[in-house]
Amino acid sequence: MPSISMTVNGQAVTGEVEGRTLLVEFLRDTLGLTGTHVGCDTSQCGACVIHLDGVSVKSCAVLALNADGAEVLTIEGVADGDDLHPMQEAFREHHGLQCGFCTPGMVLTALALVADNPDPTDAEVRHGLEGNLCRCTGYQNIVHAILDGAKRMRG
Amino acid sequence: MNKVSFGDTVRRAEDHRFLTGKGNYIDDITMPGQAHGVVVRSPYAHARINGFDADAARRAPGVLLVVTGADWAAQGFGPIPTKSAVKENRDGTPIAVPDRPCLAHDRVRYVGEGVAFIVAETRDQARDAAELLDVDYAPMDAVTHPVKALEPGAPQLHDGIADNLCVDWELGDAEATEAAMRAADRIVRLELHNNRVTGAPIEPRGAIASYDAGTDSYLMYQATQNIHANRNTTAEILGIEADKIRHVGPDVGGGFGAKNSVYPEPALVLHAAKTLNRPVKWVNDRAESFLSDTHGRSQYSTVELGVDDDGTFRALRTTTVGELGAYCGTVGAFTPTGGSARTQGGPYGFEAMYYSARAGFTNTAPLDPYRGAGRPEGSFQIERIVEKAARELGIDPVELRRKNLIPKERLPLKTAMGLDVDCGDFPTVFEQALAMTDRVGFQARKAASEAAGKRLGFAIAPYLECTGGMPKEHAVVTFTADGSAHLAVGSQSTGMGHETALPQILAATLGLDMARIGFTQADTDATPLGGGHGGSRGMEMGGNAVLQTAGEIIEKGRAIAAHLFETDVDKIDFEDGSFFEKDTNHIASMTEIIAASFDPERLPDGMEPGSLNTGSTFERGIISIPNGCHAAEVEVDPDTGAIAVTGFWVVDDFGTIINPMLADGQVMGGVGQGLGQALMENAVYDEASGQLVTGSLIDYALPRADDMPPMTLEYYEGAPTKKNPLGVKGAGEAGCCGAPPAIVNAVLDALDGLGVTHIEMPLTPEAVWRAIDAAGS
Ligand code: FES
Ligand code: FES
Repeated sequence: MPSISMTVNGQAVTGEVEGRTLLVEFLRDTLGLTGTHVGCDTSQCGACVIHLDGVSVKSCAVLALNADGAEVLTIEGVADGDDLHPMQEAFREHHGLQCGFCTPGMVLTALALVADNPDPTDAEVRHGLEGNLCRCTGYQNIVHAILDGAKRMRG
Repeated sequence: MNKVSFGDTVRRAEDHRFLTGKGNYIDDITMPGQAHGVVVRSPYAHARINGFDADAARRAPGVLLVVTGADWAAQGFGPIPTKSAVKENRDGTPIAVPDRPCLAHDRVRYVGEGVAFIVAETRDQARDAAELLDVDYAPMDAVTHPVKALEPGAPQLHDGIADNLCVDWELGDAEATEAAMRAADRIVRLELHNNRVTGAPIEPRGAIASYDAGTDSYLMYQATQNIHANRNTTAEILGIEADKIRHVGPDVGGGFGAKNSVYPEPALVLHAAKTLNRPVKWVNDRAESFLSDTHGRSQYSTVELGVDDDGTFRALRTTTVGELGAYCGTVGAFTPTGGSARTQGGPYGFEAMYYSARAGFTNTAPLDPYRGAGRPEGSFQIERIVEKAARELGIDPVELRRKNLIPKERLPLKTAMGLDVDCGDFPTVFEQALAMTDRVGFQARKAASEAAGKRLGFAIAPYLECTGGMPKEHAVVTFTADGSAHLAVGSQSTGMGHETALPQILAATLGLDMARIGFTQADTDATPLGGGHGGSRGMEMGGNAVLQTAGEIIEKGRAIAAHLFETDVDKIDFEDGSFFEKDTNHIASMTEIIAASFDPERLPDGMEPGSLNTGSTFERGIISIPNGCHAAEVEVDPDTGAIAVTGFWVVDDFGTIINPMLADGQVMGGVGQGLGQALMENAVYDEASGQLVTGSLIDYALPRADDMPPMTLEYYEGAPTKKNPLGVKGAGEAGCCGAPPAIVNAVLDALDGLGVTHIEMPLTPEAVWRAIDAAGS
């Protein structure tokens, strides 16, 4: 089996994978980083969103082999120890999560969105979430959380 | 000290875990030495199975166990029972309940039905082996349409069950309804379809179990909403004692009813874990979720409203055809019968009502409760016929509703469907919702919309609801000498936030620091009984169980305080977290009493250290009646049929609100699902092949962020129910009752004048465009 190496949440990691192993499987099963979730098999739900070399991607749609040498950020790497990132704080403050299953993907999508557009409108946030499904919240509190998270990040 | 009260917006305890990736969902759990199971599912809607050839699958790399339907049948395990509350037809004969095996062995009846369970070292190996299992199928004709299934000559699903009919049922007074219909100036009639949908929680179903040969017992984690009941039923299937299974619900990624039922897979997982004597894990993928999760709704109904020319409602009659799918689900026949009949007529007054339902078997996945389970169907039926009546009578739909709402003075009353409506104020709730919607500005918005070639519409939809679920709930509180507490409940959150709301009730009642209350839910070892989640029972059952337990703790605390103050118990009051002796300066905080409760020196006779620990079972008397009013404004593009919901307003009467932030979350999530059903969600089977056409998230449309309108929410808190001590009425399912009629009626209002009087859900752009086109030609 081929061996791959990458940096995940600032740590150098290596592991063996099959050709068909998905990046999300590598993260969850090999590295034990189970914060990245799998909600579908057609790249529709966004529960698996991570950052790959600074860009948000669906880790169920990337082969682990293709991430060899990359820099990966998962939900486990977002907070600073026990201190939540301002975007995570905003989700908690605005009740932007219920069951929490979509939440890691939502937070990482939000961070990428705000990196591109630090002061988005309500409509821009909604548009930016087109790759992420949430079945619990009706999205309103997620949108409010991202708008507030962006504001907190602007300082 | 983190002091809290009822009605406080307390931020969630569970969020830190979920936001940092530390949630513990079913697929996150690993047990040492675990193997992986996959279910081999039927590709045919209806077929005879002539045999299995499992040799190649058994020889495939990593394969540990192959259990075919034939192997399962040879073990002699029981069928999956149904627990429908409706057990008899209208003539008193029992409803038809076919045997439903965990794995089919001689015949499959829907695409996705399990025919084998394969366990291997890895999930991929199990999947690879599934490809090698050879099942000899002889396809048969299938029927997937609930009405056609009941027609003469339809393919028959079950030997010994005539005409595919499961249940034929009625409620109400047929004669009185007919008489009131005849006396009315006119009868308004509408045929409508409540579309088939599915809960689609983002986390798929799954389970992992280990077996301990020494004690002949099991530990099973499952992504389910109903730990105790499903443990008992699964044990019944396997023919073992229920207490041989410890059943635990970890963090569950949404349920909405789809994780409520007893499914075949957990029994397979337990069997495999015992056979292999190693832990076995199974998790569905999304395609399997669509095929094998329970679906909901799916009713074809004729609704008739007897109404006078001045708009007075006289009588309501609903005749429905529902469906069970291929077998009876856990709740099974109840949803299209009792579940849908109860709230018929909504919050309006009638002289008489009558409800008649038939439901049969189709070659589709079993149907069972989906958020609302019958109440959304009832709400949609009444609100659609009222809207149609308004158009036919030439009366403003708002006025027609206002005229017929049951006035506050008439409560309490029992509806013609037997529903015990104790309190509420429907007219006030209605006016409160209407006032939020900016009716004054509507004409200007409509003109602006028309100038842009669009059409604006508005509708208001009052609804009447009721709660349900298991009528008992248990809470246990255990203390530590340092004053911290642990709360365990048998009710269960699959996202609703009970980990926050229930400790909030305990902390508020006992005056404890909320940060020092631990929480356990959904564990058969933690509580002797529990009803899990379903029927909006979280606060009504779980909340009241906590309150009752807290009350018993206070009584014990008074005895300890009396002993410490050397006085009589009846001289001790409890207020704001402290015990007082009347007319003295004697005072002891709850925390001090907890400390004393561990000190034999400071306890009265008959109390042992730790005896403040208390478990109590709350039993519901009569279900509560949540109600409310939703309103929608929509903009339709008549050239494309595209709909934008531009505003949504809600007033709900849930009685006492414990944590408004969590209540808001329930309402908004429910509106999201209601909007989904109204505008885009549809579980479609191809009638010729019986294949599920909407078998992926590409084909089954869930609402996304930009489909949702801005929602404005208020509560009416003037009528806490006396049916339970907290005064709560259940918040979970309101959105699914209010949103579909509000949105569909608003679209029809937007199309007023074009000759479109009805469009079946979901109102996709294509459906709307075709309706406009057909009306114009
Ligand atoms: S798991 Fe659904 S998009 Fe990746
Ligand atoms: S919080 Fe449950 S899916 Fe979004």
